[in-house]
Amino acid sequence: MPSKISIRIDGELVHARLGQTILEVAAENNKPIPSLCSMKGLRPVGACRLCLVQVEGLGRMLPACTTPVQDGMSVTTDNAKLRGYRQMIIELLLAERNHVCAVCVANGHCELQTAAAKLGVMNTRYAYRYPNHKVDLSHSRFTLDHNRCILCSRCVRACAEVEGAHVWEIGGRGIGSLLVCELNRTWGESKHCTACGKCVQSCPTGALAEKGFAVEEMTKKPEPVSRIAAFREVRP
Amino acid sequence: MRIADLSSFNEARERGLAKLLPSHPRVTVGMGTCGTGNGAEAVYQAFSDQFDQRGFSVKLARTGCFGFCAEEPLVNVWLPGKPVVILHRVQASDAAAIVDDLAASRVPAELALCKVEEWDHITGHIKYGSGYPDIPDWSQVPFFKGQKKIVLRHCGLINPDDIEEALAVGTYSALYKVLIDANPDAVIEAIKAAKLRGRGGAGYQTGIKWEFLRKAKAEKKYIICNADEGDPGAYMNRNEIESDPHSLLEGMIIGGYVTGCQEGIVYVRAEYPLAVHRLQEAVEQATEYGLLGQNILGRGFNFHIRLVEGAGAFVCGEETALIRSLEGKAGRPTPRPPYPAQSGLYGYPTNINNVETWYNIAPIVIKGPAWFTETGSPKSPGTKVFSLVGKVVSTGLVEMPLGTPLKNFVYDVGGGAPGGRTVKSVQTGGPSGGCIPQEMFDVAVDYESLAQLGSIMGSGGMVVMDEDNCMVDVARYFVEFTHSESCGKCIPCRSGLDQALRMLNAVTHGKATEKELVLLDELSRMIRDCSLCGLGQTAPNPVLTTMRHFRHEFEDHIRARRCRAGVCEDLALSPCENSCPLHMNIPRFLELVKEDRLEEAFMSVVLDNPLPASTGRVCQHPCDNRCRRAGIDEAVNMRDVHRYIADSIYGSDRYEAIAAQVVANKKPPTGKRVAIVGAGPTGLACAWYCALFGHEVVIYDSNAQAGGMLRYAIPEYRLPKATLDWEIDLIRRMGVEFVFNCQVGKEISLNDLGAQYDAVFLAIGTWKENWVYLPGTELEGVIPALPFLEGVAKGHTLPLGRKVAVIGGGNAAIDSARTALRLGADVTIIYRRERKDMPAIAEETEAAEAEGAKIVFLATPHRIVGNAEGKVSAIEVAKTRLGEFDKSGRRRPITTDEIQRLACDTVILAVGEAVDIDFAKASGLKIKESGLIEVDRYSLETSRPNFYAGGDLISGASNVSNAMGYGKRAARYIDLRLTGVKRWKDLLPEFQISQTVPAHPSESPRHHAREVPAGQRCRSFTEAVVGLAPVEAMEESCRCLRCDIRNGD
Repeated sequence: MPSKISIRIDGELVHARLGQTILEVAAENNKPIPSLCSMKGLRPVGACRLCLVQVEGLGRMLPACTTPVQDGMSVTTDNAKLRGYRQMIIELLLAERNHVCAVCVANGHCELQTAAAKLGVMNTRYAYRYPNHKVDLSHSRFTLDHNRCILCSRCVRACAEVEGAHVWEIGGRGIGSLLVCELNRTWGESKHCTACGKCVQSCPTGALAEKGFAVEEMTKKPEPVSRIAAFREVRP
Repeated sequence: MRIADLSSFNEARERGLAKLLPSHPRVTVGMGTCGTGNGAEAVYQAFSDQFDQRGFSVKLARTGCFGFCAEEPLVNVWLPGKPVVILHRVQASDAAAIVDDLAASRVPAELALCKVEEWDHITGHIKYGSGYPDIPDWSQVPFFKGQKKIVLRHCGLINPDDIEEALAVGTYSALYKVLIDANPDAVIEAIKAAKLRGRGGAGYQTGIKWEFLRKAKAEKKYIICNADEGDPGAYMNRNEIESDPHSLLEGMIIGGYVTGCQEGIVYVRAEYPLAVHRLQEAVEQATEYGLLGQNILGRGFNFHIRLVEGAGAFVCGEETALIRSLEGKAGRPTPRPPYPAQSGLYGYPTNINNVETWYNIAPIVIKGPAWFTETGSPKSPGTKVFSLVGKVVSTGLVEMPLGTPLKNFVYDVGGGAPGGRTVKSVQTGGPSGGCIPQEMFDVAVDYESLAQLGSIMGSGGMVVMDEDNCMVDVARYFVEFTHSESCGKCIPCRSGLDQALRMLNAVTHGKATEKELVLLDELSRMIRDCSLCGLGQTAPNPVLTTMRHFRHEFEDHIRARRCRAGVCEDLALSPCENSCPLHMNIPRFLELVKEDRLEEAFMSVVLDNPLPASTGRVCQHPCDNRCRRAGIDEAVNMRDVHRYIADSIYGSDRYEAIAAQVVANKKPPTGKRVAIVGAGPTGLACAWYCALFGHEVVIYDSNAQAGGMLRYAIPEYRLPKATLDWEIDLIRRMGVEFVFNCQVGKEISLNDLGAQYDAVFLAIGTWKENWVYLPGTELEGVIPALPFLEGVAKGHTLPLGRKVAVIGGGNAAIDSARTALRLGADVTIIYRRERKDMPAIAEETEAAEAEGAKIVFLATPHRIVGNAEGKVSAIEVAKTRLGEFDKSGRRRPITTDEIQRLACDTVILAVGEAVDIDFAKASGLKIKESGLIEVDRYSLETSRPNFYAGGDLISGASNVSNAMGYGKRAARYIDLRLTGVKRWKDLLPEFQISQTVPAHPSESPRHHAREVPAGQRCRSFTEAVVGLAPVEAMEESCRCLRCDIRNGD
């Protein structure tokens, strides 16, 4: 099998390497597909379902982040149906926790907010759940606000795959899922946290943030985390 | 003990056979979890004690389950040379008598369900013996008819704890063959050729999956048996493992051998302790016998099986989540690709099959793929085990060829709904499946056909539902289940199901809007299309299928705030109120009677129902069927209490004062005018409420007096006209005007009415008698029922003969029969079905029989015979037998050639009535194909503005209370349309009654109204039933449990 293949993305013929995912190839060719849980360098999990695309000849939609490209594949990244579903996903996320942009440290730099704006989601048709979640301020440098968490698990993977500390995990199940620190400790009590901040930089929203920043002040820099991850991959 | 060659294999087999067919009697008790739950343990102990005491030489063993759950506990008894007899519903107390019988070389015939003379174990064949001509063969029992036991081939016949018995019926012989042949590719080819599809639900071809694993190159491979059966109502896998664990092991060892894999894992639910125990035992025994472990059967193949108990998460039935769970991680699915065949458990190639798939391997190996594809449908060969549960007479495990129509499951095997109820729907596939409506029961049960209806076959759950099940609540229940079992990884399933559950809860609480229904539909599709794993992708199926097939139930909840099944408690005051077509506040008037406030009780009753004395006599009393008191002894006699209330006010000296009080509830005049066509129960009810609302109401009727069917069809002995006159008097006092002898279409046109009135309500009854087309109906002496009853009511002299035959089984037939009896005739009723299928009120039928009417069931008229003068001289009826179930859920009568002749001189035809729709032609009213007027289901508006219709005109022939229900509803919507204000709630006064649940409701049994002795009443038109006495009515009221009180303590 040739390592160089060509696929069609929204009708346009593009080149790709075997082993790449649809999401990677689309991004390289300036056809960004919205996504929240995928982050360069972290193992894809296909959890947020925003990057679902249609592949010709297949009845069901596939997540671009976990689907490897195949020679001759023809992918549709955007149409009314996909857009409708993506909007619903954003709406569901907004209704799930207490996302109040106006008081959020990540306001203006939030991937959820950006995705909502790009998809034209102005409000949600679903009932707000208003869950009663706590804010964990026990760590000396960082904060965890469950109200802003979208359970994308980027922090979990950054900590486990890049830092190797395995501080984070998703506990509970269903709508009761919650980010937990080790065996349900507060972050400040963590035995393994190295305070490296990779999780904070990977977090797409204001759920994980650094202390000392006010509303709108927290910008995230996930790229260094991805770069370190890339070094790990080339090592034998 | 170790089997290393054919001779030792055969020796073990012989030892097993000696246990199955010993030289002395053998008694086995079905002791799956189901049997044990029904008391099989005590039965086993009782037998054991009996045998010990008597020193009786007998082989007593525990077996698995034979599948007939409804008849548990099952006990098999076998005498040498005789068939195995399956005894049902055996209690520990029966043991002594059974042992007595066995000692005398007899079997207890009264407990016998069926016998098994020989059994095809597929992998072996056992001849038990012959005899007992009086006991039916197992295949003749309706529950087993049509079943083909391939997967369940050994279940309930062998002792699962004894490997030698398993060997005796051929278990492990397929393994032996595979190991001797040493040609794995041939086995995979055979499985592929058999087109065996995964029985877990997805239906992927097993042979192809095995080929992937065989071709995968890795130092280690795994095969896994998925026994994480988690669907509510499904227990096939549990029973299979409990009854026959060795066949599962055999399948897995063969799978291991042909795919080049040395380790197998059974992932079984920890909630199945007996299955875990028996499987563990089986693994140990198989290892001991050299059938598992190192160097199996001396052929150099090593294979190990270990058990892992799942912690009970539903999502762990999904293969990737199952693998994560086995690895010790949280049971959350991962995206595929990579598929388990590429990278599964610990990253090694892995194959996962459902329990039942493994059971199909040995039969295919032994019998070949051609034999296997003979059964089932071309695309889905073989059989599938279903757990048939819910509202059917015979519940249990049913193994049927794939492609069998669904109705065979429900009606033939299941025997239909118990208690003469109507099956409404079948839910297949558990929380991932959907609900199939009764109209679609012809569907073949296989993977593709069910998918077309939006359901799935799934692992084989089949829950039958009847009219007591609310489909919205069913959808809500399953979404609640998947919602709490969702792993929470992907958003559609985690958050989407949560929102879907919220909306469904809102529907069941009567708080949803139609907008939300649209959103729910959209959301369900999104969850289906976007979720990561099978759980989320299929979780909306119950919602989507119920919305598709039972949309009217959702609309009832949203638009009418009603749950017809009476399940959604927030939408009803009490079960009786919910079942009443007029939605009378029954607990209120019972409480008022109890508190001795009779006048207020009358006020309450008459404002709920303007004809309380008439309905108190002739209503079909649906409230009786729903009364919760029936769970203790019998339903409260609500109908007769409101008859009592009305009877004690009408004609009493208090009447004038109370009538004035009732009329005082009338709202100020609105200046709007309403015309009502038809002065029957529907029209009178509508008129009553329109008048209460303050509108000017005029009723037009073609007859000379008001009452419609109540006056002209229901005979005097059931409803005295004097009583009816009291009720019509009160309606008149409310301000309703009547125009009699005025037929719409003749004396006055619909257009005139439309021009003169603000709203027109059409409430014409079914006055046209249906006609049967059979030879002889032109003869003199053949009369339709309604004109007959009408003639009698109007006092005409009718040419009625001495011997009358009445054809039909409805109320009109019974009324005609009882009227004819009173006119001195000798009466025979001819009905084509059975007594329980009769639409007439049961009490009426019984009364007719008591008065001397004869009823011939299962007979249909063949021809009417005339004499030389052209008069009826006899009727010939053909006997019918009951065939398949029809759409009404009753067995269809099939005419046979057996003709019977009954001498008679009059034939009354009471085979149903229809509406004479002629008046509505060219009126702009849309008429449906059925000859009924098309209306909006809720507002009863016709296609013509300001015209409404109700009663028989839109429903076809029905009964008084249903008809009045339509009238009441029409008044509500007419007022809303005329005034633009929702005034219904303010219409009726409040009553202050006790809101405490009675701590000690009366323990007295139900009080029945007294019937005049049959001999006295059968020649007279005076009322045949005397109402309750005051003290009886009071006591009856004290029997009410007050279901209307919420949060009471």
